[in-house]
Amino acid sequence: MTRLYADTDKFSHGDASAVVEAFHNAIHDRVRTRLAAAGDEWAGFVTGEPPAHVTAEDFRAVEALLLEAGHRFAWSAAISPRERPEAYVPAAGADEASLATFSFEHAEAITATTDPEGREQRGQGDNVARYAEDRTGIARYIRTPAQVLKYVQGGVPADTIAIIDDSGGTLTAPILARFAGVICAGGSTRSHLGILTREYRVPCLMNAKVSGIRHGDTVRIETTARPKTADDYQSGREVTARVWRITK
Amino acid sequence: MNTNPVNYAQLLETNNLIQCHGDENYWLCVTRTVQESKLFPVPAYMMLSYANCWYRYPALFRKVESFMSAEEIGDRARHIGTKCASLMAYMPDFYLFGREWLLNMGLLKPTDGINDIIYVLDFWKRFQLAYHRNDGHITNREFGHRAQLLPERTVQVFHADLYDCAPGDELHQAAHGFMAAASQYAFLVACESRISLNNHGPYKLDDHTELLVRDFVDLAEGDLPWLDDVAAGVEHNNITVTMAVKDCHFHIVDDWGSFEAEPEFSADKLVGVGLYHSDSLTDGRVPLGMGSRGELTATFQRLTGQVTEATNKLWLRIANWSRDQMLDAGAITYFAVCKDVAHIAGCYDPDDWVKIDERAEHFRPLLNDEYGRDILVALCTAANPTQQVSDYVMMQHANRGARFFTPIPYSVLAGEPYTAGVGEVHAGTTKLPEKKDCYTTSRGKLTIADYNRASRAAPPTNVAPEYRFLGETWLKYHANTPLADALYRREQRTSRRLKDKGAGLSRADILALRGSAGE
Repeated sequence: MTRLYADTDKFSHGDASAVVEAFHNAIHDRVRTRLAAAGDEWAGFVTGEPPAHVTAEDFRAVEALLLEAGHRFAWSAAISPRERPEAYVPAAGADEASLATFSFEHAEAITATTDPEGREQRGQGDNVARYAEDRTGIARYIRTPAQVLKYVQGGVPADTIAIIDDSGGTLTAPILARFAGVICAGGSTRSHLGILTREYRVPCLMNAKVSGIRHGDTVRIETTARPKTADDYQSGREVTARVWRITK
Repeated sequence: MNTNPVNYAQLLETNNLIQCHGDENYWLCVTRTVQESKLFPVPAYMMLSYANCWYRYPALFRKVESFMSAEEIGDRARHIGTKCASLMAYMPDFYLFGREWLLNMGLLKPTDGINDIIYVLDFWKRFQLAYHRNDGHITNREFGHRAQLLPERTVQVFHADLYDCAPGDELHQAAHGFMAAASQYAFLVACESRISLNNHGPYKLDDHTELLVRDFVDLAEGDLPWLDDVAAGVEHNNITVTMAVKDCHFHIVDDWGSFEAEPEFSADKLVGVGLYHSDSLTDGRVPLGMGSRGELTATFQRLTGQVTEATNKLWLRIANWSRDQMLDAGAITYFAVCKDVAHIAGCYDPDDWVKIDERAEHFRPLLNDEYGRDILVALCTAANPTQQVSDYVMMQHANRGARFFTPIPYSVLAGEPYTAGVGEVHAGTTKLPEKKDCYTTSRGKLTIADYNRASRAAPPTNVAPEYRFLGETWLKYHANTPLADALYRREQRTSRRLKDKGAGLSRADILALRGSAGE
């Protein structure tokens, strides 16, 4: 059988990702077959049309192999499962109907029973900037452009503490400055969303690990806590601010 | 069999550049969080861009150099705030990521494209050496994460013309408001990446104050097709904010245009600002609203309104895009990080820079969110099979047996067959609307033909034959000559405080002048 250059690799210990491994193994098989058909002459093969004689149809077939085996891809951009629901893991919390029962559930969220002030801890996060007072508002999940569009057209309620799992700065670009606060279940204080909330003076916790907060709950974020710095991240120091649900 | 011979010295140097890029890239990748977005399929578009870079950069740089050398482009880029300035440091990373990905798929061997790789890295090296001529390094990394690009005469003008500001005053509020809105707009323009904003410096203004130069680039109707119409109201394509910052040391200004400060930078430390615009048609950076404190405040406020309006319009456009359109826009954003070399050379063609080469287009069906994420993470953490080396190796910053980019095997000098490169640019495709022939420049809105013609027509002062090689060492010993005076007066011609002051001023003189101005 035709062998590829990388088929003899003294130091490789394989791919870290099962999906990458499956894709690349399937591509290697196609390259071997096409190279054999081309007479094992690499120079003409690699610069051929298309390069290495592998086509878009081949790549489409590689993806189809995994889908046929029952795999559904994890999604990161809301557009992906919207356009190809059959190819992606269903997107919970991405529409109005599922918001009523949806909540982020992080295994490392620190929770506690309600204290005398009516605060029930539901998690913690990395404070971006320190403010004179903690910030209280109504939790509203925002996970898709459609949800943002609703607020663009209808306005953002003044007390909104946005709960987001996107540490980027583009999803909420038209409405970010109007949030009372942000709880972001990803990124760090140096992520784009962290940078922008600091610029707009919107209290924000990044890398938040929360549990049991529902759309519409009254929540408070401990924005009086010490901000987490680059040095804290580099040295692995845990510096967190608390997230409470207000029960009275 | 390749008929383009290569020699040992070329391979040694190219492999050094590959390794240095790999070392720094690993550090830059692991000290940042993974870019994520619910709006854009970021990792997927990054992978598409890397393939495009692999197939297009060699031919495009050769085309650019048929108009102007990389080192002259670097000299010109040093004095304007465009995308090919500090951001050019990204370029080889994207190109080499494309190679590494194809190696892992078995679609390339390490012996493929050797002449291309040597050329692309040599082009980059010559650009960088010229761009960094004043600090004498090839990258910020080599300078301990610092970027002191500018000669004294430029820094003196920036320093002298800064307007003081303090938290709570109108100028501070306006400047800060602009930087918040422009940063947000820049992330959106660049499809969630930070490729539309860039910082360089710092420069020492006094024992407690440093100057950082922040460039916002590609803001107006220009090269990026998705800004057609929605950014029609944005006056300037490239805007520079000079920032004096007190009691805060910028100890890292990296090759991706980011900074770290100790103690952490916050708005209350901003004590002075200036505002400029520039492009390949300007002779350096041009003051913007710098006639008076009130004019500058109003200019910041006006520009804030423009970018805020454009943000809202652009977001609505993007929210209605298909995933393929998002992939194209993101891939073009990354691929075209160095497109301004073509503007400076006066040979920009949108078909070169805002299209996906048909050879890269083949990979699109692979790029679902999960594969895109996993292959990007593997590349960025040196976890792919091609990146794994002997267990004895201690990778820089990681102490494990890995390397970021695969070197060129020296065995090609001992007879192992190799291929030269990928050839000419192939036909390009786009899922986005065709780019309008409308480019916002410092001379108004031009067609690309007029823009290229104008770029070729008038060399800026710093590359004029009588001035080009008058560097800081020459200046040190000739400051009292008419030639030095003329050079400084050229730089000072639009300065509010330094017009016609000439070459004799020291930093202390600038501080005294600022102290006595009472603005």
